[in-house]
Amino acid sequence: MVLKKAFLVLGILFVSVQLSAFQLSKSIKKKVDKELVKNFDGVQLSLEPVLIDASVNAKLSKQIGKYNLFAIQKENTRIGYAYVDKAPSKTDQFDYLILLDSNLIIMKAKVLLYREDYGGEIGSKRWLKQFIGKSSQDPLKYRKDIIAISGATISASSMTRAINAFLKNLIILKQENTL
Amino acid sequence: MKKYILGIALSLSFVGLAQNTTSKQQNAAQKLVSTSVNQKGLTLGGYAEVHYNGESGKNAKLDVHRMVLLLGYKFNDRTQFITELEFEHVKEVYVEQAFLQYSLSDNTNLRAGLMLVPMGIVNEYHEPTTFNGVERPSMDKSIVPTTWREIGLGITGRYDDASLRYQVYAFNGFTSDNDGKYLGGKNGLRNGRQKGAESTMNHLNFSGKLDYYGLPGLRVGLSGYVGRTQSDKTIEDIDGSDVGVAMIGLDARYAKKRFTARGQFIHASITDSAAYNNYYGADFGSALQGWYVEGAYNVLLQEKEQQLVGFVRYEDYNTHAATAGGLAQNLSYDRNEWTFGLTFTIAPGAAFKADYQLKNNAVLGTETVKQLNLGFGIWF
Repeated sequence: MVLKKAFLVLGILFVSVQLSAFQLSKSIKKKVDKELVKNFDGVQLSLEPVLIDASVNAKLSKQIGKYNLFAIQKENTRIGYAYVDKAPSKTDQFDYLILLDSNLIIMKAKVLLYREDYGGEIGSKRWLKQFIGKSSQDPLKYRKDIIAISGATISASSMTRAINAFLKNLIILKQENTL
Repeated sequence: MKKYILGIALSLSFVGLAQNTTSKQQNAAQKLVSTSVNQKGLTLGGYAEVHYNGESGKNAKLDVHRMVLLLGYKFNDRTQFITELEFEHVKEVYVEQAFLQYSLSDNTNLRAGLMLVPMGIVNEYHEPTTFNGVERPSMDKSIVPTTWREIGLGITGRYDDASLRYQVYAFNGFTSDNDGKYLGGKNGLRNGRQKGAESTMNHLNFSGKLDYYGLPGLRVGLSGYVGRTQSDKTIEDIDGSDVGVAMIGLDARYAKKRFTARGQFIHASITDSAAYNNYYGADFGSALQGWYVEGAYNVLLQEKEQQLVGFVRYEDYNTHAATAGGLAQNLSYDRNEWTFGLTFTIAPGAAFKADYQLKNNAVLGTETVKQLNLGFGIWF
């Protein structure tokens, strides 16, 4: 038990060291670290930003910047990817995280920071579970494939669109041998 | 082993510190680039609804019912001010909300100012594109006096792991005597709203709501409100100068693919209504109660942005659900209503609406009032 806890602390510290080289805000970084440790047996993880050529980026429906997509490495093996981005809510933007396994299948979707009052229900763990297991092959349409949340329509459809766009972009990134 | 790991952890944390200081060296331009414009600053929005009401036996009424401008300012990620300025029926100006919010943590916000009392669905979610029907449900006028807002202090927040939202407030309450308008049989508490306009206070009121959205497609709410009405200092000790108000509300919203449904139940029990009626010459009931259920179905393809929703709602509400002190129950306050209608969402946030209502009350032999409503609602 103590050992496990120590590993967790070690994991968080290690990941945070690796991440500090990248431009994620402190609070977002902390939350990403926590998810990485929780989802990938955290010890000895390192993150490398996936840099995307301008020519490839031009083909994407949403550009992927320097601090959006990271490859998760464990002892020189790529075990997955972390994608951090913003999407619009009613009058603001929220930050979200998508974790992919090495087969580009969603392991976890999480709202890292939600800033306005309207629509914060999309942070619900239960609702976000719907995205787990989805890949580029899956169509993701709000209401049809993703169950709606009453009172949070704008943010819930925004999150669905953002994840769908990201998954579709993965097809292009794969074709271009970026991943 | 433990010591060894701790050692590594410590040494790594030092590396982390060192890296942090170098990464913090940014010039002004880099700082500007790394701060999103939207994280801070001004928010502009609003909603509006324009209505045609054609009631049997009356001239048609055309009304810019509500025109509301939302203005928000975010001082930083934790501190924001939100206000809604409302023009009602073109000529009445109100401040519908005006509060300052400070986020203590991801799941705790402090709020102060003029805020909505969370009771049922529509008082909080009153933007016209969020509900079916040209007009708000009638019980959200007579039982829950929407738009019900007062000045107060509150704590709100969410727990993502539990899919739970909570709100707790201390509010100023209704006034017993609103410049000669009293709490009454027909519209219940409606006349008592002070709306934060030079409102008077001698009793603190409390309000709270829990929303649970952890079951697929379902959202349920439990609201509570308790307190006393406010009265002038000179009469506050007189029996009947005020009443006690305790209200409970249950609401549910459900969505599955093209089908949506919602319903709510509200019960208010009023203490000392007999003395109140005696003192002010009013006919206020000792209990108010109402409920409605609504089912709706989108007939257009789900892939489309546009939606054409057909809906049916049944409402039953009574502002004289009980009376005290020998006040006879006025059966015309025991009302029910069928509403059949269409909501045509032409773009997210903009909808044309049409519905037909059949309004009845419990008085034997009363003719059903038929009403055709047309209108549009927008929210941006």
